[in-house]
Amino acid sequence: MMWIFIISDALTFAGFLIAYGFMRRISPVWPKQTEVFNMVLITFMTFVLISSSAVMAMAVGAARAAQPKLAVRFLALTIVGGLIFLGCQAYEWTHFIEEGARLTHNPWGVAQFAASFFLITGFHGFHVLSGVVILSIVALRAAMGKYSPDGVENAGLYWHFIDVVWVFVFAFYYLL
Amino acid sequence: MAHGHDSTTISYRTYFITWVWLLVLTALALGLGYAPINESLKAFLLVCTTLAKILVIAAIFMHLRYERLNLILLTFVPLILAIIMFAFTFPETLGTSTHIIAVR
Repeated sequence: MMWIFIISDALTFAGFLIAYGFMRRISPVWPKQTEVFNMVLITFMTFVLISSSAVMAMAVGAARAAQPKLAVRFLALTIVGGLIFLGCQAYEWTHFIEEGARLTHNPWGVAQFAASFFLITGFHGFHVLSGVVILSIVALRAAMGKYSPDGVENAGLYWHFIDVVWVFVFAFYYLL
Repeated sequence: MAHGHDSTTISYRTYFITWVWLLVLTALALGLGYAPINESLKAFLLVCTTLAKILVIAAIFMHLRYERLNLILLTFVPLILAIIMFAFTFPETLGTSTHIIAVR
């Protein structure tokens, strides 16, 4: 069931990214993202999400090895990673809005530039927030001794999927 | 899916090495973003590094290394679907359609 959800959600993100590609292609000009965004922050966010994904994989390993305490520790670290990512994203959004970016217009010219930013990173950020909530529930249940390795693994699959989506967003929205 | 690899445990060391490789690929992608090269070549190389990262995450973190058919399906089905979607939409971007997006 988790895989069906992941594939359907992947197609939603694919639709967003292809629509973004369409807008890029159709637009006569497009702002240089590496000059608009704080790439140090974006790279740090990528580092945090990749690291949290690695720790999540270790949490699944610990759950499978019947080490619930270790699994809870790894889950807690993954949650911290997710919260750091969300904090950075909130900072990035605030900064971008303060610079004049809106859904309908922005100082860099093409209206779709900011609109696609809010849509794609917002949708992804909402997934990260959902992931943090799911992982918190799984961690709490594990701490209470009500954990199942399959439950941890499903939460892990969702978290890795969020990481995979960010890899695409990082490459195609921020770098290309 | 969640039951098929109980006998094939991945060590923490493997996760650590995978993490390092992902960071290396991220650094490579970041370098490509700033590289003064042809945009088409940059796009192609970014697609390659992105696919490499996806494969590593899927194979090791998502444990699809032991389920080759799923790994192949996960990699190629979205790629084929994306090509089909691009094929439908991108001809629209050719010719005189640039008036659709206005520039302030």
